[in-house]
Amino acid sequence: MLAQKLERFYRARRVTLLGVGPMSRNCVDAAIELANEHETPVMLIASRRQVECSEMGGGYVNNWSTEKFAEYVTRHDKKGQVILARDHGGPWQSPEEVREAYSLRMAMESAKRSYSVDIACGFQIVHVDPSIDINGKPSATEVLDRVFELYEYCWEEARQNRREILFEIGTEEQSGSTDSVESLDQTLREVTQFCQRNRLPPPTFIVVQTGTKVVEMRNVGSLDSPFRIAGELAPEIQLPRIMSLCRKYKIFMKEHNTDYLSDETLSWHPKLGIHAANVAPEFGVAETKAFVQLLNENGLRKYSEQFLSLAYDSMKWEKWLGPDSAAGDQERALMCGHYVFSHPVFLELKSAAVKELQGKVDVDLYLKNKVKASIFRYLIHFGWVKAI
Amino acid sequence: MKRVATIILNRNLPLETERLYESIRKHNGDCTDIFVVESGSEEAKLSKYCTWWANWEESLAHGLRFPRGFNYGLHQLFSKPQENNYEFYFLICNDAEVPEQPFLKTLVEIMDEHARVGILSPCSADWGEINLLREKDVRYFWYVNHIAWLIRRTYVDCVRELDSPSYMNFLYDGENLRGYESEIELITKGYINDWATAITSRVRVQENKSHLLAKADLIRTEPYEESLVKCLVEGKKWMRRKYGFNSRWAMQMYAKLFYEKFFEFHPYLEGNRID
Repeated sequence: MLAQKLERFYRARRVTLLGVGPMSRNCVDAAIELANEHETPVMLIASRRQVECSEMGGGYVNNWSTEKFAEYVTRHDKKGQVILARDHGGPWQSPEEVREAYSLRMAMESAKRSYSVDIACGFQIVHVDPSIDINGKPSATEVLDRVFELYEYCWEEARQNRREILFEIGTEEQSGSTDSVESLDQTLREVTQFCQRNRLPPPTFIVVQTGTKVVEMRNVGSLDSPFRIAGELAPEIQLPRIMSLCRKYKIFMKEHNTDYLSDETLSWHPKLGIHAANVAPEFGVAETKAFVQLLNENGLRKYSEQFLSLAYDSMKWEKWLGPDSAAGDQERALMCGHYVFSHPVFLELKSAAVKELQGKVDVDLYLKNKVKASIFRYLIHFGWVKAI
Repeated sequence: MKRVATIILNRNLPLETERLYESIRKHNGDCTDIFVVESGSEEAKLSKYCTWWANWEESLAHGLRFPRGFNYGLHQLFSKPQENNYEFYFLICNDAEVPEQPFLKTLVEIMDEHARVGILSPCSADWGEINLLREKDVRYFWYVNHIAWLIRRTYVDCVRELDSPSYMNFLYDGENLRGYESEIELITKGYINDWATAITSRVRVQENKSHLLAKADLIRTEPYEESLVKCLVEGKKWMRRKYGFNSRWAMQMYAKLFYEKFFEFHPYLEGNRID
């Protein structure tokens, strides 16, 4: 059903399907509302850090387990526009598997259990990404072997649960440069052969490196750079080549790390034939900035300082920091505020702020609208909604 | 008669220009005459090899930059038809680093092998395109930056301004001072007129950005970052005014369209495509 629906969309007009990272409950609500208001499909792309099955203790977003998250989305998505998707499923994609230094077999089993719950809960797209290995960089063959094992497992789970699932494959971490067409060709050839050999449906999406990379609160990849980046093949040349390869294998091209791209580049996504694109931290940062601004403008600086220091102390900004970064403490905190949205200290300070702003501002409505504006920019440029 | 006319563009860096001139003369002097365009250089900073000095007020104030500078040199050459019997023009800026060995002969050989190539660019070591030239060292592209181009005369004759040629319009559109995406316009004009643009890895050149980064004051130009911003702003305005394009992607896709068409009309050249 979903596969046909996507085919229909792409046949009818050039659009890019948006994947929204569920950074917070407000972000999830914003995505559901926009999808329903504009009758536009939107994917909610949950990583295992964000949302994880209850047996593994849930994720950091709203303390949601996969089960609760899926139930929440399904209940609120009145028109059935939201597609639940697992982003970066696979071994060592859960913090627990890294922290406890799982062996390969344990990490694969853990990933499979996580996928099982996803499928049972109605996730329709699963990203199979075994590119992480805490024991060192796996070879291309090892990565593909793991893709095949997980692919077969998920398909069997879906069959037993009578669920429809689509596969997204991506075997490399995003680097900010573009893919080698030769290596992509080889991956697609091997995956196609595997699927044919085992009578499995071919993957629907392939994650390709289009030249996007998020550092701090900007996109530093080659895609958005108006000038050539040394050592890189200009995306102007590379993208059409990748597109033609995707056409050859009848697979949709998915971009990751689309956050913070300029309007100009975003508006070219449908024209360039990028079928789907994921955006995540930008929406979390939009909510963080909106909350800090709201507090500061209403004389509640004590709460904003408390929030920023909680975010800073989480050290989650480390992941986003660029080399030789000039980012100050406040900027670092803004990069990662969303990681502490479910922290008891944050919940307490937010509740106190809500009380103080009662009758003046509906805090969550305000925050949700800010995130909606941020998501809306993508829906316009991706061809789903006409700009007013 | 030598087959190639080399035009070196200089602005206020006589030593670098002389070094480049002498290197080309030493290794390639048998196949090229060399001309130096002084693109608004101060009198004291003229190269000793100066051929033409663009010394009018505007040029001294802002320089000619590569589009106007090469236009100026080509216009000067074409103004004396009896002396201009060259088959190719090698247009190179003084911040280019060329091989310390004969290379023009190689480029000309490639032009002879590829009769429909109008523009040929050596590959720079820091271009990702080098990866596409591993198995086949000459391929046709729709996007190439101008560091050093060998241009075929018949291509120039096909696209150059005929009615009132000047440094503003001889080949490049001089309205776009710093030339952002101007190369794409020439490449597109080529494909429309059945002339391809190729990159080869048989010869390498490299842009030495250190001149712009460290010697902007000597050149009497803006600091590098400021220059990039101006280049982008002016280029975008130019694209919008001339073509109604609001994005570099539009310019790229425009060029790609004619690139595709070229192979429809010249299917025997399919092997030179990059996809």
